Amino acid sequence: MDTSIWISILGFLATVVLAFTVGVFYGGIVRKITARVQNRVGPPFYQNFFDIFKLYSKETAVNHGWMQHLGPALAITASVTSLMFIPILNGQGWPWFENLNFKGDLIFLLYMMVFGSLGMALGAGQTGNPNSAIGVSRGLSQMVGYEIPWVLALVALMLQTHSTSITGIMEYQTTNNTWMMFESPLAFIAGLLAMLGMFHYAPFDVAFAPSELSSGPASEFGGKYLGLMMTSGSIFAFVKLTLFVDIFMGGASNLIMLVVKTFLLYMVPVLYGIVSPRYRTEQSIRYFWGWPTAIGVLGVLYVVFIR
Amino acid sequence: MNSLLMIILILLGGAILAYLAKRITPVLSGIVSFLAILSATLVFFFLLDDQAIVKINVGNFILQWGVNDYSWVFGAMVMVMASFASFFSIAYMHGKDRLGYFYLNFTLSIMAMMGILFSLDWISFFIFWEIMTWSSFLIIIYNGISEGKIGIKYMIFSAIGGYSMLLALVVTNSQIHSFMISDLINSFAGFSASYQALLALLFLIAFGVKSAVMPLHVWAPRAYADSPMSYTSVFSGLLSKMGVFGLGLMLLSVFSKSTNSTIFVYSEVLAWLGAITGVIATFYAVIQTDAKRLLAYSSVAQLGYIVVGLAIGTKLSVMAAIFMAIMHAIFKGNLFMVVGAVEKQTGTTDMNKLGALIRKMPFTFFSALLSIIALAGIPPLGGFIGKWMLYESLITSDHYFLIILTFLSSTAAFLYSYRFLFGLFLGQEEKEFENVKEAPFTMVLPMVIAALALLVFGIFPGLLFEPIANAMTQLGMGDVSWNMTMLSNGWGDHVDTLSVINSIAVVFILAFIFLGLKNRKKTRYVTTKDVHTSGEIPTENENLTYAVDFYKPFERAIEPVMRRKMDFYYNKFGEGLETFFDFLRRVYTGNGQTYAFYVIAFLVILIIFSKQIFL
Amino acid sequence: MPNDKNSQKIVDIIKNAARKHSLFVLAYGTGCGAIEIPPTMTSRYDAERFGISGMATPRQADVLLITGYLATKTLKRVIRAYEQMQDPKYVIGFGSCTINGGMYWDSYNTIKLLDKYIPVDVYINGCMPRPEAVIEGFIELQNLIGEGKAEGAKKYKDNLDWYRANQRKVIKNWNMPDYNW
Repeated sequence: MDTSIWISILGFLATVVLAFTVGVFYGGIVRKITARVQNRVGPPFYQNFFDIFKLYSKETAVNHGWMQHLGPALAITASVTSLMFIPILNGQGWPWFENLNFKGDLIFLLYMMVFGSLGMALGAGQTGNPNSAIGVSRGLSQMVGYEIPWVLALVALMLQTHSTSITGIMEYQTTNNTWMMFESPLAFIAGLLAMLGMFHYAPFDVAFAPSELSSGPASEFGGKYLGLMMTSGSIFAFVKLTLFVDIFMGGASNLIMLVVKTFLLYMVPVLYGIVSPRYRTEQSIRYFWGWPTAIGVLGVLYVVFIR
Repeated sequence: MNSLLMIILILLGGAILAYLAKRITPVLSGIVSFLAILSATLVFFFLLDDQAIVKINVGNFILQWGVNDYSWVFGAMVMVMASFASFFSIAYMHGKDRLGYFYLNFTLSIMAMMGILFSLDWISFFIFWEIMTWSSFLIIIYNGISEGKIGIKYMIFSAIGGYSMLLALVVTNSQIHSFMISDLINSFAGFSASYQALLALLFLIAFGVKSAVMPLHVWAPRAYADSPMSYTSVFSGLLSKMGVFGLGLMLLSVFSKSTNSTIFVYSEVLAWLGAITGVIATFYAVIQTDAKRLLAYSSVAQLGYIVVGLAIGTKLSVMAAIFMAIMHAIFKGNLFMVVGAVEKQTGTTDMNKLGALIRKMPFTFFSALLSIIALAGIPPLGGFIGKWMLYESLITSDHYFLIILTFLSSTAAFLYSYRFLFGLFLGQEEKEFENVKEAPFTMVLPMVIAALALLVFGIFPGLLFEPIANAMTQLGMGDVSWNMTMLSNGWGDHVDTLSVINSIAVVFILAFIFLGLKNRKKTRYVTTKDVHTSGEIPTENENLTYAVDFYKPFERAIEPVMRRKMDFYYNKFGEGLETFFDFLRRVYTGNGQTYAFYVIAFLVILIIFSKQIFL
Repeated sequence: MPNDKNSQKIVDIIKNAARKHSLFVLAYGTGCGAIEIPPTMTSRYDAERFGISGMATPRQADVLLITGYLATKTLKRVIRAYEQMQDPKYVIGFGSCTINGGMYWDSYNTIKLLDKYIPVDVYINGCMPRPEAVIEGFIELQNLIGEGKAEGAKKYKDNLDWYRANQRKVIKNWNMPDYNW
């Protein structure tokens, strides 16, 4: 085969390895920061690597049927496929990270991100544990809540930059030499508030909390299944952060800037989550349909009438 | 003989033969009906001649039938899904009674739908429309469940629609003295403004009833749920598309030529009504406990999306609407067949009682899984493509708030999609369903083929884009460009479906191999009773199923919206009319002196106002 | 290959290092010794710096802490939770009651030696052991894992009949399902 195919395959692998490493490191760093906020030492930065490798080295595995067997496979399919369609670096960057950037757009990504939760929900459904079913119903109901301000923010962006693909929005930011964060601040605020829900940190973690319903959907997964789900979760966190940085903060021109920007952005939900209690499901849905939606609507009106 | 006439006659003959065949043996009527529909399908695909026109003289009227690109798309969809449904129906209706009556009406509705699609003039359109209405009415009351109420509700709304259409075409005839559809298209712009507004309103009511647009949708949920499942796949999948066919014809060919601003307002209002139908029907679907009602409300919601697409009127949105119509026929027909299979094997469709049928009915679960993924609009299946085009068209044509409503209902659709799969197939194993077996092969085959078709259309949407583009050109929208595997919108952004499916397939297969091979000998299967119950061992009759009030938090959150159903307003209106009529009844007092008084009062009024009346 | 024995050991070394530095403890307080677990896990005696964290279900957990006395009623549930865990799994006996009956040495419904019913890897003595002792017990477990000597799960599978006989002697209403090892 000719070299361009080899280079693109190498690029895919490099992207996946980058996302995995950065995602797992962020998991460990979050645990360390949580510990420091709670005035204790905390695990080392690389703790999550140990967790994932330990899970993969479990010797037996228990499953309740082939749908549970497929659940983590669908989850990681969604994470890696979403990763392929997001521009990691801005503009020229390295050609190795181009992947499938120009072959999909923002609305496609919105649906792809849901695919993973659906796969995990189906897998959790087959176990027959009532806690899993309750967790899935709560998680899906919350999703209806935070999707509304998120879509409003995205619509405001798409109307302003006259493009629905991420590469188009990044080009707009490069040519106009601004960040969308400053061009539509209301959309940025609505998106940020919706992002709090997307990461499922406190106060919106009622679906996954261990003390709430014995981890909800993940309660019957162990061993290699749990390892694959933690991997997919870490990659997915990286995907969401990079998406947000790309559309609101102008992307990143090299890896160092990418790590710095995503880390600064990640601190918002993490630091807010460490000190927050938990909302009930209907409280979180009503919250998202309140102020964040109003700010999103104002953001759309601002773009339409003032710009 | 002309192929169009042949199709109609085959279906009509098949209907009558199916009714008579019941005398020999009941299974034969199902087989006769299926063979009739299959042969009509083969004639449609291989022998159709689109230049031929059939002319029949009836009294003073000339009935003309012909086929064009637009009707070909709908006709193909009707014929293919009807053959699947009738093949499914042979095994599904096995053992029930009055099968001749059922298959007579089944085949007659298919014939009526093909007749509607072939009509070139309004009289035959109306005749076939009414045949379709009463044959579906007769099947709704087949099951005998509350036959009075739901059948009568359906009949009233269909009568309102039918009479509106009759009035509209009589008004048209009085203006242009012709019953041909093409004449109406050409001369609509020349009507006076009030006639345009009147005709628009009447036609929209007529087609809106069949497409279940709010507020004319109240018959739909119970009607879809109470008919036999093999007919409901035709009813909700195909009959509602006749309304879509008519709406498309009206909105895109007839109204677009007019410059009247009232018509533009009608389109906007229709778009908003479609979006609101989508949202409210989805919310109702979320709180249902019966699988049939859930799917029925979901049908109403999906039809709302299609109406939004047609009402917006840009090229991308119309293509989205027709694509979604075809996809909806396939996956909704499939889902109703799944529910029919489950009902036949277990005897119930109550999601509070069922559970864990996945190991017992794997093929049914497979087709249900693919259809639900297509309904939710998740890539790489076909439903995503229709939704993508709809959203893109809403953004590029500046309808920002419609996109919020559409997205809200689409996200809430995930809720009932999961409930459907979980309530029927996943969850705890129930003792009473231990001996359930997979549905018979003749029921599984059409379901699996339809599910695989969804996958194919998701990867190669161009297979459907080509006939739809021709149909849109036929409707007068100009040239439409399309691509076999790439979706694009007007701003230059696109999605390449081949790379999507490549990426998904590669990663999925790698993950599956990894999970399968790692510790292969030490992975063991446990039953659903062996779950984490904090160390307790669940006994045989302990119920660990989570089914009742599945979405209670969501219900609490949306409670202000759901306080009143549309039925309530219709009932109030009906009661108001009754009170008024009750008051009017008092005119008849039965007293001769009152009647004498009426006569004298009438003469007095005549004398006093004689100048004004008789001048 | 001349280095076959060594390369096998390298894989084991990596595996044991991963297992040792990340212990998921099942959040199950079986007896009064569980009162010492919250201080161990929280800010003062932070156990998370060793990689120890709590998990909710036996499917996700590695380590089962038997904290204190074990009534026969609780023993049945503990056995079920232990059998729902996945290999490799470890048991830590906490407090004197698991070693020789402790304070309840003459009671009619507690068990006197935990090792007869489920295999124990590490005992921590005390009544109750202070958090520093608990952490020392965990470090002992980590050392055992690192050397490859924490083989409780294998011992259970190999001697299943002996363990079952002991369990049946004590538990009167035996309605545990048979597991397919």
